[in-house]
Amino acid sequence: MSRDVLPGGASARRAREVTTVGRPTAGWQLRVDPLACDGIGICSHLAPDLISVDSWGYPIIPRRALGDRELRSAQAAVTACPRRALFLQPPG
Amino acid sequence: MSAALHAVPDPHPHPGQVDADLIGAAVHFPREGSESLRGPAPDDLAAHVQRFGPRPSALGSAGPALVETVESIALTGRGGAHFPAAIKWRGVIAAGGGGTVIANGSEGEPLAAKDAALLQLRPHLVLDGLVSAAEAVGSFDLVVWLHEGAQATYRAVVQAIDERRAAGLVEPRIRVLTGPARYLTGESSAVVRALNGGPTLPELTRVLPVISGVNGRPTLLHNAETLARVGIAARTGPTGYRPTSLLTVVTGGQRTVVEVEPSVTFGDVVAQIGPYAVAGTPQAMLLGGYGGSWVSWSDAAGLAVDQPALKAAGLSLGAAVVAPIPSNTCGLVETARIAQYLADSGARQCGPCLFGLRSVAELVWALADCDVGRSELKRLDRFMGEIAGRGACAHPDGALRMVASALDVFADDVRAHRKGRCVTGRTLKVIPVPEVRT
Repeated sequence: MSRDVLPGGASARRAREVTTVGRPTAGWQLRVDPLACDGIGICSHLAPDLISVDSWGYPIIPRRALGDRELRSAQAAVTACPRRALFLQPPG
Repeated sequence: MSAALHAVPDPHPHPGQVDADLIGAAVHFPREGSESLRGPAPDDLAAHVQRFGPRPSALGSAGPALVETVESIALTGRGGAHFPAAIKWRGVIAAGGGGTVIANGSEGEPLAAKDAALLQLRPHLVLDGLVSAAEAVGSFDLVVWLHEGAQATYRAVVQAIDERRAAGLVEPRIRVLTGPARYLTGESSAVVRALNGGPTLPELTRVLPVISGVNGRPTLLHNAETLARVGIAARTGPTGYRPTSLLTVVTGGQRTVVEVEPSVTFGDVVAQIGPYAVAGTPQAMLLGGYGGSWVSWSDAAGLAVDQPALKAAGLSLGAAVVAPIPSNTCGLVETARIAQYLADSGARQCGPCLFGLRSVAELVWALADCDVGRSELKRLDRFMGEIAGRGACAHPDGALRMVASALDVFADDVRAHRKGRCVTGRTLKVIPVPEVRT
């Protein structure tokens, strides 16, 4: 595993700088960086309405804008991810 | 090479008329490797200028004019994605311009040799396109990106750059950089990551490279052929430009790079190259490379070698590889060999790709070996649905596209294999598939 996929590495820092502009609202997308994700699976427990897992335990995340209620569980998943692989992305 | 296959090169170009051919004749390559065996003579700078004329400047008002030309000829990315080049250029300019411009000649697709042909025979055309693109977007950091081990290509590019320097051409310095000889070394995010000091492996693109790429600056990355076409279009303008395609035709023991007019069909191409000229028609062809699509020969023969026409038919020229297979070959065995190569060639970074493609390749091998029932085929279908769109790069999606097209095109073989018998005997292996070095 390369150095910068670890939490807090260069790519995670860059991602936070770039993607956490402003406060997430409905309309943002939940995304996962598959390089950082190790398939630990906490996210699918915290946001079962939003996140399922594939045959190998990696999260499947819908490619669409989040609604209000979904946003809250998505934020819980983002915060809890031990690999900081999840992030919220504004539209556009 | 007959006139039908190839844009007729005028042996005596009229003064002031640009020879719009990229290569001008067929170039032959061995089954594997990137060193051309025979073809037209390489152009040094003098021969290049004599053939095409001097490179027109793209500075000042010529810059926007060149962007207009690139847009009006509908130039798309010839690395395989066929994304409109003008949109990238406008993206870089809108992001403030400058930054890095990269000519990607690393050609990781093992079957492809068109960029090697171009860079070995017409290196100055690619470099002209690189310099013109850089002028148009205001960049002074110019890079040619190649595979380690592509010795002949590397030598040709370095020699061409030396010639330009010796001739005193007024242009920024051009760096030649190489990445490891792996399938994914030419993937655009891997190139940008490598140039940023990271490993030469793909990463998730959160911000488009045209906005923030190398050193966080706008970055324009184009396939070598795309830039060669810029080199031509800068001279011809939109009206004199001919939208030909460079193909790598894989037949029997060799690969042939040909330049083809959009009116020519795949039937014409294959009928005139290699064993199919004498040994009857193929059953199908792999179009675009390992991550491309199988097309049955009854569908393919009449199709024009023209990206817009292919797109309308739900296909793509991809990396412009054309690999026909004869009727005594098992398409499912060929598919399994390629699926295995693609699974082994992943970057081992993303779970869905690492574990998913491995599982898909195992099931496709089981199918090829006539060792599947209904439940295995259902599992294959489920796995493919789960993996789609979930890699950091498009690698897994390319593999899935190829496998899905095989299940469709070789549907009769799938039925026969499920009953435990292969019509062809599964012995003949036609498509060259190299060993994956890890």
